[in-house]
Amino acid sequence: MQLKQMAAIIGISYGILAVLPIFFGDVPYIMNILIMCLIWAVVASSWDVIMGFAGIFSFGQVAFFVMGAYCSAILSIHHHVSPVFSIVLGGFFSAGMGVLVGLPCLKLAGPYIALVTFGVHMALQPLLKGEIGIALGSGGAAGLLTIPPITILGYTFGTDNMVPTFYLILLISLACALTIMVMIKSHWGLAFLALKDSQPFAMSLGISAFKYKLMVFALTSFLTGIIGGVYGHFYGVLSVRMLDLDLFSILMIMILVGGLGHFPGAIIGSFIVVTASELMSPLGVYRAVTMGALVVVLVLALPDGVMGIFSKWINRSGKIKVSAKI
Amino acid sequence: MFSEDTILMLYEITDVIIAGLSNGSVYALMAVGMTLVYGVTKAFNFAYGDFFNMGGYFAWILIVGLGLEFGGYITVFLIVVPLLFAVGYGLETFMVAPLRNRADWENRVMMLTLGLALFLSNLYMVVFGTKLKSLPPIIDGILELGQIVFSYQDIMIFVMSLGGILLFGWMLNNTRTGLAVRAVAQNPAGAKIVGINIKRIFASTFAISTVMVGFGGILLSQKLFINPTSGGAIMVKAWVVTAFGGMGSIRGGLYAAFIIGMMEAFVGWIFGMSYTIIALFVLLLATLVIRPQGLMGKGA
Repeated sequence: MQLKQMAAIIGISYGILAVLPIFFGDVPYIMNILIMCLIWAVVASSWDVIMGFAGIFSFGQVAFFVMGAYCSAILSIHHHVSPVFSIVLGGFFSAGMGVLVGLPCLKLAGPYIALVTFGVHMALQPLLKGEIGIALGSGGAAGLLTIPPITILGYTFGTDNMVPTFYLILLISLACALTIMVMIKSHWGLAFLALKDSQPFAMSLGISAFKYKLMVFALTSFLTGIIGGVYGHFYGVLSVRMLDLDLFSILMIMILVGGLGHFPGAIIGSFIVVTASELMSPLGVYRAVTMGALVVVLVLALPDGVMGIFSKWINRSGKIKVSAKI
Repeated sequence: MFSEDTILMLYEITDVIIAGLSNGSVYALMAVGMTLVYGVTKAFNFAYGDFFNMGGYFAWILIVGLGLEFGGYITVFLIVVPLLFAVGYGLETFMVAPLRNRADWENRVMMLTLGLALFLSNLYMVVFGTKLKSLPPIIDGILELGQIVFSYQDIMIFVMSLGGILLFGWMLNNTRTGLAVRAVAQNPAGAKIVGINIKRIFASTFAISTVMVGFGGILLSQKLFINPTSGGAIMVKAWVVTAFGGMGSIRGGLYAAFIIGMMEAFVGWIFGMSYTIIALFVLLLATLVIRPQGLMGKGA
């Protein structure tokens, strides 16, 4: 997909979202959903970059999200760092952890990477609940309940004034999406693609697998950590329940709906899935069952997601040629 | 000679070792099933742990739900094993096989089975509730050797899982189907040329691995409880054992299973059960950094 089309899709989807508060600005419930869309869009698209685009099967994205969120929250609660800085520090912490997790993954293949990263995810919950986590200030099983909201120059962005907060998060989310877009289209993106297609051949051309693989780990976990911090400061509460498989699989559904490895797809996917998941809330306990069945059906029936349909449709009209891969 | 405390401690350690042995034998069963399915079909099954629970729940339905008395566990095995085989066979035929002609099918199978894991664990929660279920012990009573006490249940679990592995090993080495399975694992294209129905082998291997893990579920659920959401942790455990022992090596899987069963029992005894998964993960990372092919795996 060309840069122009990518930018157009990102622009249109964020543009539609930016207009909605004019109509729903005084309905906190809907504003809440819109903010969720923005937050999950970043997590889903950075996961898509590492998993679909770079072809590294990392299952640790939710763990990085939680790490960023907890780091930023702990810094601001226990060490009184202003949320603006603590969010950035949380992002860097996540990036550092991403590199640490990425290091053993460099030599491993497919399912082993999935296992190591999923292991990080599985081990994080008992770690945060246990004594080590409590010593760090994670609040144990109860979680963190008094996270201060983001404050810029004395103005507080919290759940009380939804509309300004929405636009702040929109800016952050858009900045993340644009970063990913520029990265994909730069020579980094080309290096990721080359390494994904054939690592030995790419390395013979002088592309350093070490450098670029660590880079993709660092970058995606940095963005995820930043948005994790934003999430924590917006909701004011964090708990280890985020590490249950529900969030994990809902993010995966977002990527599948958008199309694995078709970058702006994950953004559209997250907008669709957050809305659909809210519409499905009357299903109660059956919602998670439906979600699971949906993943199975989507993998089998809709392999390229919304973007697959999209590029087919553009191809058929015959005016713009879109390659199947980005 | 020894103080009272030291002797008590020795008995406790013996108990821990017995627990480690009986857990280890079930892990061995699970690890062999996983090595097999990955070695032969290259499909990675994220819902593996939920099949463990599926075995437990099937047995629970028969014994507690329907109040089955006739034949006890023998009847349960006779009913549940074919059922698990059918589930595994159907899953591979209808869900995994259609994905095989895509270039990135391995990743898609992982996503598919992850969705299946979510579906199954939540289905268990809806059908059976979040309360943990327990199975009656396969055999009552204890064996006393001086001061050391073995429960017959532990011995039975140990014997039955090792029996299952040995039976499987015999089948793999001495039957025509076993020969075909080994041929497909070595070279799928070559196996196809000599007339092996490769699709049927893939489906059967998947089914056998489902049976093995479900069988392990029936055995271990008598000691632990059946927890609808424990599938992920069990899958990670089986996978750590497999990776630690070396992919595709049944003997390595056996050693690894007992080492990990033992380590888990000791870590649980000394630090508490919630630390076992952290210890498991540290062990895994150390193994993969020092010896990526595992204990007994073939080098790259």
